[in-house]
Amino acid sequence: MYTSVLDWLDARACDHADKKAYICGDTAVTFKEIADITKSIGTYLAGKVTPEKPVVCMSSRHPYTPAYFLSVVRAGCSYAPIDSTMPVARLKQMLDVADADCMLVDRASYDKASTLGFEGEIIVAEDVLDTPVDEAALSAARAGLTELSPLYIIFTSGSTGKPKGVMTSHHSLMCYIDAVSEVLNVTEDDVFGGQAPLDYIAAVRDIYFPLKAGASTVIIPKSEFAIPTELFNTLNRNKVTALCWSVAGIEVPAKLNAFSECKPEYLKKVCFSGAVMSSKLLRIWQDALPDTMFVNQYGPTESTASCTYYVVADKVEEDTVLPIGRPYKHYSVMLLNEDNTPVAPGETGEICVKGPCLALGYYRNPEKTAESFMQNPLNDRYRELIYKTGDLGSFNADGELMFHGRKDRQIKHMGHRIELEEIEGAAKRVDGVRTCCSLYQTEKELLYLFYSGDATPKEITLFFRAQMPAFMVPRKIVKLDELPALPNGKTDMNALKAYFK
Amino acid sequence: MEKVLEILEELRPDVDFENEDSLVDGGVLDSFDIVALVGELNDEFDIEIKPSDLVPANFNSAKAINALVEKLMDE
Repeated sequence: MYTSVLDWLDARACDHADKKAYICGDTAVTFKEIADITKSIGTYLAGKVTPEKPVVCMSSRHPYTPAYFLSVVRAGCSYAPIDSTMPVARLKQMLDVADADCMLVDRASYDKASTLGFEGEIIVAEDVLDTPVDEAALSAARAGLTELSPLYIIFTSGSTGKPKGVMTSHHSLMCYIDAVSEVLNVTEDDVFGGQAPLDYIAAVRDIYFPLKAGASTVIIPKSEFAIPTELFNTLNRNKVTALCWSVAGIEVPAKLNAFSECKPEYLKKVCFSGAVMSSKLLRIWQDALPDTMFVNQYGPTESTASCTYYVVADKVEEDTVLPIGRPYKHYSVMLLNEDNTPVAPGETGEICVKGPCLALGYYRNPEKTAESFMQNPLNDRYRELIYKTGDLGSFNADGELMFHGRKDRQIKHMGHRIELEEIEGAAKRVDGVRTCCSLYQTEKELLYLFYSGDATPKEITLFFRAQMPAFMVPRKIVKLDELPALPNGKTDMNALKAYFK
Repeated sequence: MEKVLEILEELRPDVDFENEDSLVDGGVLDSFDIVALVGELNDEFDIEIKPSDLVPANFNSAKAINALVEKLMDE
């Protein structure tokens, strides 16, 4: 039985010492090197941190970044990764939520980090790499860790306009990785092609499969996704066997018709999640790679990345609706009505999850935590938490879960989840925006903002580009004299949909 | 060229397309921008941009994009 991901790391540093764990271009880091780095940086951090507070990590897209995350763990803390390419205003919001004493950054991110008004200590990882290891201090930090200690905080969009920090334990993460490893049959021979930003939930697979199984992950530079031939060359040069990508990422090469000229030669398994996969685009992958296994995954950050999966059995047709399948090992799923009663067989209800993979909650947000993580209403005998996903689903005749969208106004766009209220909240901060409403045109994957007021669409875009991550910038901004209203005074969203092009 | 600029400016009003010459190499346009752009250019000019056309040199500036469109229209 393992207590923390450090047990995985230390085992791999023995049995796969010189194997490359993370690779990017010509740079790579071995398991032994990761163990050494984490011990040195961990020693430096150990005296400065408190276990209840995360260390914020801002580090670029390279193989050392996961090692920096794990250095924080070595010091007995959780890490809260943030992406230096996000606008300053957004990063400041995340720092506010994190309330950290220390920030660990790579040298390339230092200048950005120092503009964020952070009052704690900013530590440049490269500067403390050679700290002599203090085994006693590390043992003391480790003795404080249990399976339920927080491992990371991942930020997601919040409907109140502030990001929420989802805090997850070592145990949850290890259960999840264990479950997915079984389905994908992950071995030390696997080479993963990492697509997700390292600060994003989807990256936990790319980071932790190597630690669990002795596999490797190639961290693919972001720019290559725009150039499919380069992307496939990278996959082939590194003999990549497995991808765990967002649906948005999987769709890009298919949309750009990349398979007409080249294809990944070594891919055995492709796992996608984060949105509903287009059958048409999946079929393009299936036709190009007939012997590859495709797995549809479903689940929110709050249940540690995913909770159900479906191994695509046959080639899909254009009208195929993929199930989201069955719960992974360590997970259990049930469907509830609005009044917290179980749905009748075959009927649609809110997807609720239970098991050890539930997150510890929203960091420093007990109200929101209590709202979403609640006592199982079907069990009045002992304490058993469920997470209410806000997603709707039903079980089909084969006992597989089918996905039916959201209860609220959360959408999935470019692999990220977004609360439309948060887009509207931001738009209202633009001078000259009187009223506004944000909608998503699913078929064309376009984020719309309708507004009234004196501001120009360009001013609004510039504001969003300065304040919000790129995936939260509306693509279509439509100015109206007045927003159409329902008799009760609320915005008539159906009427607005007439403006979709 | 005007039509290309119009499409680009609608796609990303925050970018100075007249002067920017490192759209892809500089990370100004990401893969989602490229997918949207390729779709719009294909539709607007009735061309087919192939994967082999998707190299940074063809997309680093509005001028380069326009040159690619003109080349494909001639084919």
